[in-house]
Amino acid sequence: MTDSLLVATDLVKTYGPVKAVRGVTFHCNPGEVLALVGENGAGKSTVAKMLAGAVAPTSGTITVDGEPLASGSVRQSRLSGVRCAFQELALVPDWTVAENLSLPDGAPLKGFSQKKAVAAASALLESLHLSRIDPRAAVSTLSLADRQLVEIARALAGRPKLLILDEASSALTPPGVEWLFARIRELTAEGGSVIYVSHRLGEIAQIADRGTVLRDGLVAGEFVRGDWTDDELISLMAGRAAERFFPDPPERTTDAVALSVTDLRSEGLRGIDLELGAGEILGIGGLQGHGQAELLRALFGAAPAVADSWTVAGRSISRTNPVRSVRLGLGYVPEDRKREGLALEMSVGENLLAPWFKAYQLGGRPRLAQERGWIDGILKALSVRTRGPNELAGSLSGGNQQKLVFGRWMDRSRRVVLLHDPTRGIDVRAKQELYRAIVDLAKEGVGILWFSTEVEELVHVCHRVVVLYQGAVADELIGDRLTADAVVGAAVGATGSLNLTTEGVAS
Amino acid sequence: MSVTAPPAPPVAPKPAAAASGPRFWNSTGVVRLRREGAIAPIAAFVVFFVVYVIINPELLTRFQLQTASNLVVPLALVALGQLIVVLVGGIDISIGAIMSLCNVVFATQLEHLPVPVAILLSVGVGLACGLFNGVLVAYAGLPAIAVTLASAFIFGSIAREVLDRPGGGVTKEIYLATSGELVPFVPVSLVWLAVIAVLLWLLLQRTALGRHIYGVGSNMESVRAAGINARLTKLLAFGLAGVVTSFGAMMLASSTVTGDPRSGDPYLLSSIAAVALAGAAFTGGKGSIIGTILAACTLGLIGNLLFFAGVNSYWQYVISALIIVAVVGIPVVWRRVAFFAKGARS
Amino acid sequence: MTTPGTSAPDTVGTPASTGPLGTAPGVDTSPAGIDRAEGVGGSAPESPRGSHASFLSRVPRSVWPLLAFLVLFGIGGIIRPNLITIDSLIGTATFAIILAIASFGQTIAVIQAGIDLSVPNTIGFSALAFLTLVGPLGPVGAFVAALAAGAVIGFFNGVVISKLGLTPIVTTIAMNGLLFGVILLAFNFSELTVTPDFVIAITSAKISVFGISMAAVLPLGLALMVVLQLVLSFTGWGRSLFVVGSAAETARLAGLPVDRIRITGYMLSGLLAAFAGIVIVGYYQQASATMGASYLLASVAAVVVGGASIFGGRGSVVGTVGGALVLGQVSTLVTVLNLGANIQQLIYGAIILIVISLYGRRRAA
Repeated sequence: MTDSLLVATDLVKTYGPVKAVRGVTFHCNPGEVLALVGENGAGKSTVAKMLAGAVAPTSGTITVDGEPLASGSVRQSRLSGVRCAFQELALVPDWTVAENLSLPDGAPLKGFSQKKAVAAASALLESLHLSRIDPRAAVSTLSLADRQLVEIARALAGRPKLLILDEASSALTPPGVEWLFARIRELTAEGGSVIYVSHRLGEIAQIADRGTVLRDGLVAGEFVRGDWTDDELISLMAGRAAERFFPDPPERTTDAVALSVTDLRSEGLRGIDLELGAGEILGIGGLQGHGQAELLRALFGAAPAVADSWTVAGRSISRTNPVRSVRLGLGYVPEDRKREGLALEMSVGENLLAPWFKAYQLGGRPRLAQERGWIDGILKALSVRTRGPNELAGSLSGGNQQKLVFGRWMDRSRRVVLLHDPTRGIDVRAKQELYRAIVDLAKEGVGILWFSTEVEELVHVCHRVVVLYQGAVADELIGDRLTADAVVGAAVGATGSLNLTTEGVAS
Repeated sequence: MSVTAPPAPPVAPKPAAAASGPRFWNSTGVVRLRREGAIAPIAAFVVFFVVYVIINPELLTRFQLQTASNLVVPLALVALGQLIVVLVGGIDISIGAIMSLCNVVFATQLEHLPVPVAILLSVGVGLACGLFNGVLVAYAGLPAIAVTLASAFIFGSIAREVLDRPGGGVTKEIYLATSGELVPFVPVSLVWLAVIAVLLWLLLQRTALGRHIYGVGSNMESVRAAGINARLTKLLAFGLAGVVTSFGAMMLASSTVTGDPRSGDPYLLSSIAAVALAGAAFTGGKGSIIGTILAACTLGLIGNLLFFAGVNSYWQYVISALIIVAVVGIPVVWRRVAFFAKGARS
Repeated sequence: MTTPGTSAPDTVGTPASTGPLGTAPGVDTSPAGIDRAEGVGGSAPESPRGSHASFLSRVPRSVWPLLAFLVLFGIGGIIRPNLITIDSLIGTATFAIILAIASFGQTIAVIQAGIDLSVPNTIGFSALAFLTLVGPLGPVGAFVAALAAGAVIGFFNGVVISKLGLTPIVTTIAMNGLLFGVILLAFNFSELTVTPDFVIAITSAKISVFGISMAAVLPLGLALMVVLQLVLSFTGWGRSLFVVGSAAETARLAGLPVDRIRITGYMLSGLLAAFAGIVIVGYYQQASATMGASYLLASVAAVVVGGASIFGGRGSVVGTVGGALVLGQVSTLVTVLNLGANIQQLIYGAIILIVISLYGRRRAA
């Protein structure tokens, strides 16, 4: 394999006592598209970051063209011709598109001219068929999909020898993905290589020449184009038979409505009608950035919103805020558990109790003692692995932290619980424990509104799924129509009156 | 500037509203000023200036122009120093102490060293103080507010070791060179301020480093992921702030013809107030030079205005506070009211 | 089964985590990521750093400044054996407790991830208002009025910070300036002479506790510390304040009334600063427009040395008393050794640097 462009040998990355990557070896040939696949948390993002220089490997070597890659420096990696479009966008929101495209390449004390930068950015965007993006616009004013395109454009700008795309298509519509594939083919035709990190099997089937499957920080297997099936790959990724365990949604025993809203408007929402029954699990699907987060925040009152009519547990309201929502019987599991869900330097018990502190009542240890029964019950029901209610929440693993954010709403007479992708980035066992808890909550008659980025969850665990597209409901799927294909199709606007052909990414 | 507008690819890059609105409002320079929060302080200054001239037309005489600018220029320079630190998401509690230290170094060294050497020494001290803070913030990862609290004690005590009571060797010539008149109606201090402001503007807007400084404050992680040395950028910003502060210190020493180890103390709070009035974001990444200078002028001249209006000049403290809260707070209230007024249709 | 690998990179893929470099995994460095004994509240397994480290990390933070004070006290004794006396201890403690009382309000502000730079002129305002109002309202009436004034000042701070969204630094600086104007405009300094007896009785009067003679302010301050610590540790309001300081967005999305907690927090800060103003008048029996100026940085210093996190969510009034004692003992040593006030300030700075380099970093960043 002396002619390989990139050789990664025995990459290991540890964070404290935790091993994110436990020894990964692979290589990538010139002109090839290598897929790096695996479940959330398999270590593929960490590997991509090591290649890009954003993270220094604990041990192991990376060579590009036979030369060892300077580790832990994005700048050095870029100079060696390795460029990465990150999954979490690495664009500075307050910079213009032009600044984001040109600033990383200049020396700090070199002059910088807005005019030249705009001209260069225009030329680049033109050459990549993205000329509808205004190089003078601040990145924060662009849509998520456009930001992702700019991020990819920046990685492509230097005609890199090796391009790493770390889940770079997560917000792209099908024309956007087609655009990306066209660019990848241009690059490989010139002899460049691409490492395509993704868990979208359809895209991998289309673009990848070879692939490496990661599981638990190790290489679980490899595959070459045309030599694999979805089921095989899924079982490789999951480490067991392709069939995955999802509980069925519980039988509904009542027709009572827990939450209903018509023409809900908020920033990023264009008038949404929604009805959620008591004991119903209603899934929310769609591509990233099409209003799902905004919908949950609006319903909880965390973002200002108005609606024509709005009832929660039979009570009509005109608007709400989080304090009122909790009083009305809502609960919310937000997106970012570390910043929005937990107080990391407070104890496990107090994090569970956080919504239930009353100014004039006891708090701290006496309150924990009072509520000991409830706390222990929650910890047990969710199998939270902790030393006890007095351990700091910040010292739990991600999955257990997520259980705390969820657990605080259990057995507290909720009518509706809003979930923002609670299973994202947590391990398989924690996921199944959460599924069970969600189903149990629904059995008690709580209405569950569940936004998930995993289509399988929506299809298997939900009674009904509403798919959002550009801040509006694109489709509602129930019964036989509730299939993975239908969810994905609606997510990209392929159904209803929305016609995508006029909205191509290429100008 | 809505952040989460739903994607609308078919729309032309320039919204149609741009054509109907005044062209001036959407020109590149004005857009930049708007983004940097400078419109409110500029408007506040214009109103203030008009009121001032109506109440006291004498401002436009040679003597009053000179006095007023000598009063305002040190504050404007220190506020610019504070602005640079704020741009990278920090805050400098030690800025008053740095100013005192540079002030006494300049004043005492003038006693036995040539003027250029004294200037260089003072600038060097400012740079060293800034770098000291910068290393601890950027490379040791300590919070700026706590680091500069500690260095405020340290620099302040060094300043009083250098010179324990007002004194030093500032001469009449130095006063004239910094605080006199260049030509009639043009105070020298304003010229120096303009020179420094233009140089600083070139650095912040026309070099990559300057844009990096804005970027680090906007989103440190993104800047690092783009392969830019964010820590070095932060360090240099603190150093630069120290240098600009030392200019303010020397202007103050010259215009008061004395070195004073406590002269910087009042500038800690007023520099932060000026940066706040300038519309800068204390999370970093947003703030403009022109806005800061005009904010400093407004705050610095309120006392004078009240004096000429025949009002007890103690009111200046009350009025300054109300102006800051009003200018910074009104846009917040406005946005909130506007959202519900529009019925959430955008 | 959970294997170490599966739960480790949990955070790597979360887009909303700190940023594209995914520094967040540092948070997950706990042993919890590794398989451990099943069950809730099961026997605590050894932390990988060893029981020694975990024992040290379980010592409450407020203990460290108190220990540091004892060490400094011992050092003082080695240099000047006559410093190890009850009188010397009482002397330092009295000085420290006044600083501590002035810093209690600051502690409350810092815990909620704010800061109160209006402490100096709140002290001045309440002291002068108190002395001015003693005539018309009588001592108790004036006392209540001055405390109420402090609470009102804090109320405005809190409203501007939580409702208008101004940064605490800017808001309280503006308030500090505004109060300075009000002090200069409202009070006639020539009339202020007599300090009422009852204030002297609770501050500078010598009383005997367990046979030890001390100024009344010392037991008063310690009693206030105990009350405040109980409120912070054991009431719903106190714990809510910590949630707000630790993660404001978490508190909001958990349905806590964040604005109300913030505002009442600043009201308590203002009230405590006002109380400090009256105590200072009683102890030093003088008042002036700038009497609070030295407490601007000193109050923050005492809080930081006391182990509070400047990012909020962490801090205690016991720690603040410890911090004030450390600063007070430094002051005593500097005086005894005749080093001068400049060296004292230098040492203050050095102590703050040492403290923040020990535990001032942003958590897990």
